Amino acid sequence: MADEPKGSRGSLQGIAMAVVIWAIVVLSSLYYVRYGVPELASDRGYLDNLYYVILGITGAAYILYQLALGYVIYRYRGDRPGAESSYWHESHKLELTWTIGTAAILIPIVFTGLIYWDRVRGPAPDDAVTVMAVGAQFQWDFHYPGADGEFGRFDPTLYAIDNQIGLDETDPAAADDWVLTNQLVIPVNRPARILMRSKDVQHAIFLPNFRVKQDLVPGMTTEVWFTPVKTGSYEVACAELCGLGHYRMRAFLEVMEESDYQQWLSDNAPAAVADAADPAADPPTASAE
Amino acid sequence: MEHEKQGFVSRYIFSFDHKMIGKQYFTLAMSMGFIGGILAVLIRLQLGFPSQPWPFLENLFPVGMASGIMTPEFYVSLFTMHGTIMVFFLLSLLPVSGFGNFLIPLQIGARDMAFPFLNMLSFWTVVPGAIIIIISFFVEGGAAASGWTAYPPLSGIRSAIPGSGLGQTLWLVGMIFFVASFTMGGLNFVVTILNLRTKGLRMMRMPLTTWAQFVVGILGLLSFPALAAGALLLTFDRSLGTSFFLPAGIFIGDTLMPHEGGTPLLWQHLFWFLGHPEVYIIMLPAMGFTSDILATFCRRPIFGYRSMVYAIMAIGTLSFLVWGHHMFVSGMSPFLGSLFVVTTLAIAIPSAVKAFNWLFTIARARIQFTSASLFGLGVVSLFVTGGLTGIFLGTNAVDIQLHDTYFVVGHFHFIMAGAGLFGAFGAVYYWYPKMFGRMLSERLGKIHFWITFVAYYAVFFPMHYLGVSGMMRRIYDPNVYEFLQPLQPVNLFITISAFVLFAGQLVFIYNYFVSMRRGAPATANPWNAAGLEWSAPAHPGHGNWEGEIPPAHRWPYDYSEPGKKRDFTPQWEA
Repeated sequence: MADEPKGSRGSLQGIAMAVVIWAIVVLSSLYYVRYGVPELASDRGYLDNLYYVILGITGAAYILYQLALGYVIYRYRGDRPGAESSYWHESHKLELTWTIGTAAILIPIVFTGLIYWDRVRGPAPDDAVTVMAVGAQFQWDFHYPGADGEFGRFDPTLYAIDNQIGLDETDPAAADDWVLTNQLVIPVNRPARILMRSKDVQHAIFLPNFRVKQDLVPGMTTEVWFTPVKTGSYEVACAELCGLGHYRMRAFLEVMEESDYQQWLSDNAPAAVADAADPAADPPTASAE
Repeated sequence: MEHEKQGFVSRYIFSFDHKMIGKQYFTLAMSMGFIGGILAVLIRLQLGFPSQPWPFLENLFPVGMASGIMTPEFYVSLFTMHGTIMVFFLLSLLPVSGFGNFLIPLQIGARDMAFPFLNMLSFWTVVPGAIIIIISFFVEGGAAASGWTAYPPLSGIRSAIPGSGLGQTLWLVGMIFFVASFTMGGLNFVVTILNLRTKGLRMMRMPLTTWAQFVVGILGLLSFPALAAGALLLTFDRSLGTSFFLPAGIFIGDTLMPHEGGTPLLWQHLFWFLGHPEVYIIMLPAMGFTSDILATFCRRPIFGYRSMVYAIMAIGTLSFLVWGHHMFVSGMSPFLGSLFVVTTLAIAIPSAVKAFNWLFTIARARIQFTSASLFGLGVVSLFVTGGLTGIFLGTNAVDIQLHDTYFVVGHFHFIMAGAGLFGAFGAVYYWYPKMFGRMLSERLGKIHFWITFVAYYAVFFPMHYLGVSGMMRRIYDPNVYEFLQPLQPVNLFITISAFVLFAGQLVFIYNYFVSMRRGAPATANPWNAAGLEWSAPAHPGHGNWEGEIPPAHRWPYDYSEPGKKRDFTPQWEA
């Protein structure tokens, strides 16, 4: 053809583009498998399985599509001998195939995801250990309800250096309550229910090894539950920007054997006060909605 | 239409000519993009070399980098403003306001936009917005520091973070200017495209670029008011003591705040009701550019034109129904979260249609490798890469782990920022001859492409590794966490690649400005393209065509039609 844009038919560009795309696919995929998810310590392995299924499907689509893209760029570069381009520009059959094909692949992902979501976000079992996480710039306070299992009322006017969670000591339910700062201890193999509220701005509790993340929203109580299946000490991070110290809002989660946990409780928790539980006390949990 | 002789001011400053206004937007967007790029380099500097002193930077940022070490609050301001500037002032202004204004009348055969005065006004409304955003760096407390999403209470209470003082106020004022400007632009786009098409240009004969701009105009009109409302209400909360977004009991800096009754989630709903359509406001024009560019340089009609149009409409419609996928773990009702999964993953279907249509446009082609077509091919590659990672994030069960990690950062830098930016670059290389009557240097263009393409993957693909490994976004120093310490080599690699990526853009800026004066003179149709815009003179004056406006006899994609002498039949030829 006459009037080609200058230099546009150099075969180098087309071959280079194909080679670079192929190289990117190979390298990016090879390195991907070197970085795994953090070691799993909860019962949420099914979320990982779904992640791997999606990784398999999208990974295959990524590799196949990019390889094909590199191939057509190489194959149909303008300077190939006898280069002709085709006027063919419509095929309802093909277009229908990839529309329906994409939908067919997505539908099982959507449904599996929704079933797992329901499992994750459903109500916590009754035997769960319940702790209230209180987020503040830039520390975590974990409020244990004590032997009565009831959280004492909190009152924002009572926040003070020696009362980080604003606990109302006059509430009988508060008598045996106690607080750990930047440390959360729970027993293994028992569901843990973490209620959470924020003292100031939004935070998010992120337990990378437990596949748990939930925002803390001022004015609301949110909650999450999971079952730790491995003992050990794990890092707790803040995952929602909360200020200049967001990056160092870190805590530790200790998962103990049940017997160690009981021992630890009796060593550390204040002695339970008799008839502390006041049935008239406010229920501690507000709905997440 | 008559066009009297223009003086300097009416020609270059308060111009009514859509082409000059488009070019004004280019200059503004590129300047803002350059600043946004510098912010990105500083962000990467901190992540690649956490808390190392860089004494020479103290001269530039005496507060933020006192003694050369970046402070955490400065870091937070940096990524807040990087996001704001890039999303709104580069990626919205360049493809939409810039190319929309420049191209729509040329592509539909109109002498100008429907409302030239409104057009001029919309440009001069966004300029103060941009100036206010830049000035906010130099006020006490520094620029806004609540992320580009500006979640209250962090953005709502002045003592929550230093940037939440005057910096945040200026951010909100700047955004209100931006929204006002963008809404005027959207109105103009829709009215122009509906009313001013030349004879014979039925809607289904419009180029996909114009189709995209049409849908973008509607999206902007419907979504940006939500941000305007949110920004106003947040300003009231900050300055007038209202409590739209602030509940009772907030305790910051030993002070109990007087607010009561609001909810931070309301802001998130308002913000993302804009925020998600905004992603497609950025993406759709890039898809349009890519389709036009690929057809021209593949010498082949775009494959599946009709389904491309329907896909644009489907994406535009669905974009209003997916905002909740940003809020899966926000405390929003889990049931609502499930609904948003369905709508979100539905977007994958029209997106796949586009990806396959492009692939089949390239197949059976005779590809000419110009800088424009290389960037167009780059869009296809980035779009697929970024689109696929969206499936992880749209599935709420999997999003729990990946939410607010670098996986998300990698994802949107491919799909929105990457495909959007590559599309805009391709468009500049493609339409530059019509903009300035001169050609860009192809040699520099190719250097620019190769640096950008390789460095782009090198910067943003490894971010998925970081995210899968659990690295959170928006953290000043990941090494605080033991589980993130092994990732430092990845961060260093990304940082070095980011420096290369930034340096590559200097080639483009040089090429863009030098070619304006020194580039080879362009002919009216240097690419042998079939679209109507190429019937205008090489450097069209005010009014675009000297004589009659050419009618449209066909669609703009008649390349390599069998039985024709030339390998293209222009849209304006019978």
